[in-house]
Amino acid sequence: MRALARFLRLASRTLLVAGGLGLIAMTAIIGWQVFARYVLNASPSWSEQASLVLMIWYVSFAAAAGVKEGFHIRIAALSNALPRPAARILDAFAQAVVALVGIAMAVWGGELIMRTWEHVIPTLGIPRGFAYLPLPVSGALIALFALENILEILNPAVAGDTEA
Amino acid sequence: MELAVLVTVLALLLIAGVPVAFSLLGATLVTFFMMDMPPVAVFQRMAGGMSVFSLMAIPFFVFAGELMHRSGIAERLVRVAEAAFGRARGGLGQVDVGASMLFGAVSGSAIASVSAMGSTLMPMMKARGYDADYAVNVTSTSAICGLLIPPSHNMIIYAAAAGVGVSIGELFVAGIVPGLLTGAALMVAAWLVAVRRGYPRGTFPGWMAFLRALILALPGLMTAIIIVGGVLGGMFTATESSAIAVIYTAVVAALLYRSMGLSAFLDAAVQAVKTTAMVLLIIGSASAFGWMLALLEAPTQLAELITTVTDSPLLILLIINVILLVLGTFMDMSPLIVITTPIFLPIVTGLGMDPVQFGVVMMLNLGIGLVTPPVGSVLFVGSAIGKVPVEETVRTIWPFYGALFVALMAVTYLPALSMGLVGLMR
Repeated sequence: MRALARFLRLASRTLLVAGGLGLIAMTAIIGWQVFARYVLNASPSWSEQASLVLMIWYVSFAAAAGVKEGFHIRIAALSNALPRPAARILDAFAQAVVALVGIAMAVWGGELIMRTWEHVIPTLGIPRGFAYLPLPVSGALIALFALENILEILNPAVAGDTEA
Repeated sequence: MELAVLVTVLALLLIAGVPVAFSLLGATLVTFFMMDMPPVAVFQRMAGGMSVFSLMAIPFFVFAGELMHRSGIAERLVRVAEAAFGRARGGLGQVDVGASMLFGAVSGSAIASVSAMGSTLMPMMKARGYDADYAVNVTSTSAICGLLIPPSHNMIIYAAAAGVGVSIGELFVAGIVPGLLTGAALMVAAWLVAVRRGYPRGTFPGWMAFLRALILALPGLMTAIIIVGGVLGGMFTATESSAIAVIYTAVVAALLYRSMGLSAFLDAAVQAVKTTAMVLLIIGSASAFGWMLALLEAPTQLAELITTVTDSPLLILLIINVILLVLGTFMDMSPLIVITTPIFLPIVTGLGMDPVQFGVVMMLNLGIGLVTPPVGSVLFVGSAIGKVPVEETVRTIWPFYGALFVALMAVTYLPALSMGLVGLMR
């Protein structure tokens, strides 16, 4: 149990750092695009599409980490106003909704990939489905993170342990 | 019936504290199941809503803002504003608004603005005897100017939501005068409150000091010229110019100001990725939700409803403003831009309003929503930095709401404010 919590914490941290590196790479790609156009007089055909796919990838993974880190915007007013036990049930409910949406994303995001695998992105020569690949993966991660959040909410002692 | 389910489920999930993006997706999915439609379409819309080339400017804008915040560029802007506005009664309030406007001109994000200005100015204000609630109110509300003063990443979201024919360059230009006007209105409010509370008067450091501060801040201010100039001059797309702004800011921070190491750089990137992930996930889920609304013909029904209530253009614009203000109090800015632009844009263009002007109205209107509870991310960040509970700041924020509302009405009913400069370009 505690090992799982530690693993998920490490996983979310890794996803975010990978995201940061993705953003830096994206900056370099677009910077190269401008350099190539004005200095080398040759616009690369792949750069814009490649950085878009890159962005979808790191955004999806960071969005999953956001479930673990709790940085997605939400209205906390009701939960703050309720007494502790009731607030805990409400928070667990909210995380359960997140988990369900994550599962839906994993299932139907996967179907989306299979449907679009035949289409090829012309400038990159890779299947369109490849761009959507992070959707089901991120959905599964979201479900996992949200379920672990529920365990933490219902059993705060464990959370206190791993915090240290 | 389906529409009622969609809206009710969304409201319930939001109140229960489900994050906004997941509430939007959840409500859309429930409605899909009810109508017995294939849910894969929801995720196709979501992926489609995120895969828009112009949206790539968002991570770059946020990244550049984070770098400026960490590299000391923000502090240099504060010094310029201090030299310029510091001598008035309650001068630091004026400095705060002025510095937020300058920061708005180099960064496109209200959150970056309130965190940068708040961490620099709030301690200064408290040390000189200003109340914490005043510091939070001025800093949070003046961050709204940055949404109007170009560049602004929310304008890019608007341009994407409005579809073809709305130029990002024109939106940028249209925001300049309304942004200055909003800043001026807030300065008046800040001054009035300062006089009533008897805050101290600052001293003018002299023209030499002003020039010195300006020169030191110049490398930072260049970012604004790169982004806005590059887009207007047609040299770069908004995405390209914002990427160049990131590279430029990183170079200035590392070489000229010598204020940033590699780990701070990576930290800024990670923070920017968090913000981007939050915003883009919401844009994607709002696209799916908005598409569902359109499928249920909600936009046409709402348009008919409004036009049966009144046919006066003045009143229709007021009604739209009030609807957006109300929605803005409990929803964040980006999903509302994505969802409501397709609904209201046809109505206002039918009344003869330019889509560019409506974009500016929307920025200011939904910007006000960022400083109103229960969901007001900018006010929340401001309160957190100022270490004042939100309930306490809201008790004394009314003069600033008043100033923002006056500016909103002016921008809504005086097209020349937004379109004057655009007219010179066209």
